[in-house]
Amino acid sequence: MTAIEYLDLLLKALLLAGVYAAMAVGMTVVYGVMKIVNLAHAGFLMLGAYFALEMFQRFHLDPIWGAILAIPAFFLFGMIVHWTLVRWLPKSDTPTLASLLLMFGFWLVLQNMGYLFWGNEDQSILTPLTLSAVHIGESISIPKVNLVVFAAAAVCMVVLQVIFNKTWFGRSMRAEIQNPYAAKIVGVDDERTSRLTFGLGTAFAGFAGALLGMLYSFSPDFGRPFLLRSFVIIVLGGLESVSGVALGAIVLAVLETFSTTIPFPWYHHGWNYYYLPPSYQPVIPFALLVVVLLLLPKGLASLFSRRWKVA
Amino acid sequence: MSVPANVRRWLKLILPLLLLLALLFLPKTDPGDNVIRMLFLTAVWTTTSLAWNLLGGMAGQVSFGFAVFFGLGAYTTALLMHAGHSPYFGFIGGAAIAALASFLIGLPTFRLRGPYFVIATIGVTEAVRVIMNNLDITGGSSGYRIQEDGPFRPLEHYYTAIAAVTLAVIVSTVIASSKFGLALRAIKQDEDAAAAVGVNPYVSKLWVHAIAAALTGLAGGIYARRAAFFYPGDVFAFQTGILILLMPVIGGIGTVWGPVLGGLVFGMVEEQISVKFPNLHLMIYGSLLILIILLEPDGLLGLLRRLFRRRTRENPGSTDADKVLWGRSSA
Repeated sequence: MTAIEYLDLLLKALLLAGVYAAMAVGMTVVYGVMKIVNLAHAGFLMLGAYFALEMFQRFHLDPIWGAILAIPAFFLFGMIVHWTLVRWLPKSDTPTLASLLLMFGFWLVLQNMGYLFWGNEDQSILTPLTLSAVHIGESISIPKVNLVVFAAAAVCMVVLQVIFNKTWFGRSMRAEIQNPYAAKIVGVDDERTSRLTFGLGTAFAGFAGALLGMLYSFSPDFGRPFLLRSFVIIVLGGLESVSGVALGAIVLAVLETFSTTIPFPWYHHGWNYYYLPPSYQPVIPFALLVVVLLLLPKGLASLFSRRWKVA
Repeated sequence: MSVPANVRRWLKLILPLLLLLALLFLPKTDPGDNVIRMLFLTAVWTTTSLAWNLLGGMAGQVSFGFAVFFGLGAYTTALLMHAGHSPYFGFIGGAAIAALASFLIGLPTFRLRGPYFVIATIGVTEAVRVIMNNLDITGGSSGYRIQEDGPFRPLEHYYTAIAAVTLAVIVSTVIASSKFGLALRAIKQDEDAAAAVGVNPYVSKLWVHAIAAALTGLAGGIYARRAAFFYPGDVFAFQTGILILLMPVIGGIGTVWGPVLGGLVFGMVEEQISVKFPNLHLMIYGSLLILIILLEPDGLLGLLRRLFRRRTRENPGSTDADKVLWGRSSA
């Protein structure tokens, strides 16, 4: 491979990382504040993609506007879900299996409602943007839609950082993440904070789902591979940190993009180089998930801050 | 209505035997192929449900990854039969390979606790499915076909499935009343406390995982022989892992008869609903899961017990499900 091709792949990996970050960040805030591993995140991603599709087909709305509209819609939806289901779960410092199975059951319901409404054929959103590309030099070309999606995801991450650092809601979220008991003592309404947080997490999931729907074709089973990717990302990022998510997204995106170009040396009648066949590429996030959980349960940051040990 | 303790002990022994006798002599009444097929599937799924319950219910380690063992059992049996061995040798081989795989999976993942273990099992099952989809010797994603000479014998399939579920019930009962079962329950209550009183949680979990995997592999082999054709998107599917987990949760976690009840309900519901509304059944299971988590963690068995307890005022019900699901003891 030439240097130009590497540069091309690197650019694609970074663009992918932007979407991955937007996709995983909703899961991080929910985990951080409520200690819930939100398996229904996959369902919200799927609904987000279909939301953009419906907006596009019925109202001829550009999917990027569909994605932006998804934010308030899913914010409300998330608050309703929290009010009806999630708030009955017992409070806990560590994730409980009850929360895991509850969200999982809800995901099953969402997914199969998707099958009921939209059938199981693959859908995709095609706009003029999808087929045009920006050319840099001779051999690098990037589809415009990827650029637009990346920009939207980046803006959203910045907005989230502002909410997180500058508003009272953000402060109460951070307080809940750091110490829920102390937060209660200083007057943080944890019920309200977790309701808003769940809404925010769902809003991000819907937004990211709409963005992913612009890039890939989707069916009601759409969220599953992305759910595990989100989980890899937030574990890499240390589970509770929003900036860690950006780092985790970059690591995963780069690994996935370059996985088929990394040579494994293999000795068989002299040295051979073995490349991962592209059909095995989906294994990367799943294998990475197990490896990361085992070796870096506190995320990448633990590599720098303390000696790592097997959990 | 209060039943004396010794009568109750006899009932506990006799009722399952009566059920078994009824199942064994049922074909004599000529109930039709459809009923036999439905009971066959119910027995296969109940076996996996009991197997899952050994790890998930008794030891408290919830796994989404049992489809791996089911699929491995199916493929091993098929490959052994293809190589000219008897199907029964194939079933044993399937169980052995599944148990072997359980060590490979368990050695790293049992270092994780609670939800991290759960998430890791999702990763494992997805990775295995992708690999099986691409493996050449099993025909990849296009599936595998078993060719067996002679006429199709539904009754032979039926009896092997009944034998498997009987084995699973016996194994569950023996483990539940043994010292090993006590160790598993101690691990579920508090892993550190169990380690402090001389239980090695890591090793115990590995062994129960292997037993559960062997039973699941056996069920997979029996299923595969009757189905005669299967593919990774079917036996290794995430959905299969979900179903295996849903049955004991619906029936009642941590007991011997809860998973059986769950398997029975599942077999009936599946037969009636999945044909007419192919996508509705998972929605029903999802809603059931939500309701069970929020309202009755002990499952259907717990519900029955609660109805029964109103009259007897004894039998405080199991706290197992409470512990597994909520991470608390109800004492």
